[in-house]
Formats: sequence, structure tokens, C-alpha cells
Amino acid sequence: MMEPSNGGQVVVITSGKGGVGKTTTVTNVSMGLAQLGFKVVAMDLDIGLKKLDLIMGLENRVIYDIVQVIEGECTLRQALVKDRRFPNLFMLPAAQTRNKDDVTEEQIKNLCAELKKEFDFILIDCPAGIERGFRNSIAAADWAVVVTNPEVSAVRDADRIIGMLESAQFQDIKLVINRIRPEMVRGGDMLSIDDLLNHLCIDLIGIVPEDDGVVISTNTGEPIILNQRSLAGRAFYNIARRFAGEEVPFLDLNHTGSLWDRIRMFFSKQVG
Amino acid sequence: MIILLDFARRKGSANSRSKANDRLQTVLAHDRIGTSSGIMEQVKKEVIQVIRKHVDTEEPEVSLISRGRQPVLDINIPLKGR
Ligand SMILES: Nc1ncnc2c1ncn2[C@@H]1O[C@H](COP(=O)(O)OP(=O)(O)O)[C@@H](O)[C@H]1O
Ligand SMILES: [Mg+2]
Repeated sequence: MMEPSNGGQVVVITSGKGGVGKTTTVTNVSMGLAQLGFKVVAMDLDIGLKKLDLIMGLENRVIYDIVQVIEGECTLRQALVKDRRFPNLFMLPAAQTRNKDDVTEEQIKNLCAELKKEFDFILIDCPAGIERGFRNSIAAADWAVVVTNPEVSAVRDADRIIGMLESAQFQDIKLVINRIRPEMVRGGDMLSIDDLLNHLCIDLIGIVPEDDGVVISTNTGEPIILNQRSLAGRAFYNIARRFAGEEVPFLDLNHTGSLWDRIRMFFSKQVG
Repeated sequence: MIILLDFARRKGSANSRSKANDRLQTVLAHDRIGTSSGIMEQVKKEVIQVIRKHVDTEEPEVSLISRGRQPVLDINIPLKGR
């Protein structure tokens, strides 16, 4: 990860499998970086299936989209949607009525080169899959974040994506493990952080617990990071700080289970 | 009572995590080289043919493992002594 002062950095958030938390990660980490004072653009490249506007709570502010920028129907500045909460946070919406073949890698590269002049971070929300949309999303990225869940099919897809990023000469690939449930790991029914790191062999940049607050925040359009009392919110804020180059210890999820878990832990300590 | 419940729960499911790890290990190694797991039986057969031209062997163990992200073919062939 470079220092932001060297010009902006483009980071692609990808996963292979859908529904693992890419859009949630882009939303919250973008907002975290904005909180830290950086100028940030969250770019939705899930063309034809846009969601970032909704998850960021900015759907009512969208006027133009990325395909219109590329086709010259509007300027980049006109299409950037300003966040309601942070003046230094912007979102570039995907087109909903087009498809992924309407943009090329070259066009994304040009767009990102333009944005890098003015912004510290450009986070790309990559579509699921390994086809055109994926290739467009990684084309301009300086480094990559792979999001996965502690679940066999998500890990398999993450591995495939890591292989593809390596073939595309990515040197810097970081892992976010989302939706971990510490009590299930302790019970022997969920892959642990170490299990995932052993399989995937890349560096960790974040661990986000399963948190009902995430579902609530998607309903309201107020990203979970705005609630620093929530564990997932704190986890995303820590990821943002690591993006910025800070060394932040990982949250100890073992002491944050339900009361019931803690009682159980207490008793199991008594016996063993 | 709490302890008993916990124990019962753990006993039934303690291996779903280790099972997931075993399955992932195999499937990722094969994904990384782009083969299906059935190919190992074929390799085993052919390896044994080649070696037996020269020395007598027991049944070889052929498995695909990973060292880091590097897939490695692990072949273990015990030879028959006189
Ligand atoms: N840590 C979490 N805890 C609970 N629910 C989550 C968490 N992360 C994501 N989700 C939910 O999972 C679903 C998929 O997340 P999303 O970010 O849209 O995935 P993707 O962009 O990879 O398809 C959403 O409904 C989201 O609210
Ligand atoms: Mg998404």
C-alpha cells in the first residue's frame, strides 16, 4: 500500500462468489477513509446490477452513471454523487439498464487515471464472476482486496480469484474475512481465521463478524460504520485505518460473544 | 446441565470444521492445477507401471498437496525388499 500523498490509489474489492460482502465492504471502508480525512470515490462496476447507491443510501441523488461518462453524455464531475454525511466522499454509480460489455478495460483505466489526480482512494465494487466485469474491475487497480466468508464455496472462489490476480501480476492482495461467527468456530462448526489463512496464503486486512446491524443498516441506508458501538462497524473502521497504512491490532472476537457464550466459556474453563 | 449440553453439541459436530478443511485442501490443490480429483488414480496406475519395469513396489500413495499456494505432487512408493 502506498502513501496517499503519492497520488491516489485504486483498490479493487473482489470475491468471485456473489453475496459475500463486497458492496458492504466498499461502502463502509470508503466511509471510514472519508472519516479519516481522505478524499474518496466509491465506484460501482457492477453494471446492470447496481447496488452501491442503495447500500450507501445515495440512490435519490443519482443523476448520471458511469456509462454516460464514458460515452461523453456528461462529465465525470457531473456523474459523481456527493455523500450526504462526508463532503470528501463521492460515489460513481453503475448503469442499471446496460450490460458489462458496454465498457472496456481501457476506458476504466482512463477514468481511474483522471480520478487519481484528485482523490486519495478509489475503491472499485467488482461484480461477482470471473468474466468481463471482473477484468474491467481489476484493469486499473493498484492493489486488490479479496472478500470471503468462512464457508467452503466462498473460499474456493476466493482461491480462484487470487490465482487470477496473481496471473494479472498483482503483488499486493489482501484478505477480508466477513461474517465470521466466533461461537460457531469455537463449537467446531465453522472454518477459523487460521484455517482460511492456511488455505489461501495471503495477508489479512480485516475480520468482520456476522452482525444483524449490517442488515438493519442496508434497510436504512446508514452504513454500519456510522455506529461505532457495533462490532462490524468497528471492524470496518479498522480496515479503513489499515488501508491508510496504520497498524491496527485485530479485534478479539473471542470475548465478544453473547452472554450465553460467555457463561459457557466460563464453565468450560472451570472443567478444562 | 450447561456443561452437558455443550458437550453434547460439540460431540456431534466437532468434525464439520475439519471436514471442511480436508475437502478444501483437496479441491483447492486440483483447482490450482486445473485437474479433477479422478486424475490421481490414473497417475497412480501409470507411475506404478513405470517403476515396476525396474523394481518391485508396494502400492504407491499419490496425492496432491499444497505448499503455500504451490501445488505439489506427493508420491510415496514403498519398495519390496527381498
Ligand atoms: N458482516 C455481516 N453480517 C451480517 N450480514 C452481512 C454482513 N456482511 C454482509 N451481509 C449481508 O450479506 C448480503 C450480501 O452482502 P453484499 O455486500 O451485497 O455482497 P456482495 O456485494 O459481495 O454481493 C447483504 O444482504 C448484506 O447485508
Ligand atoms: Mg455487490
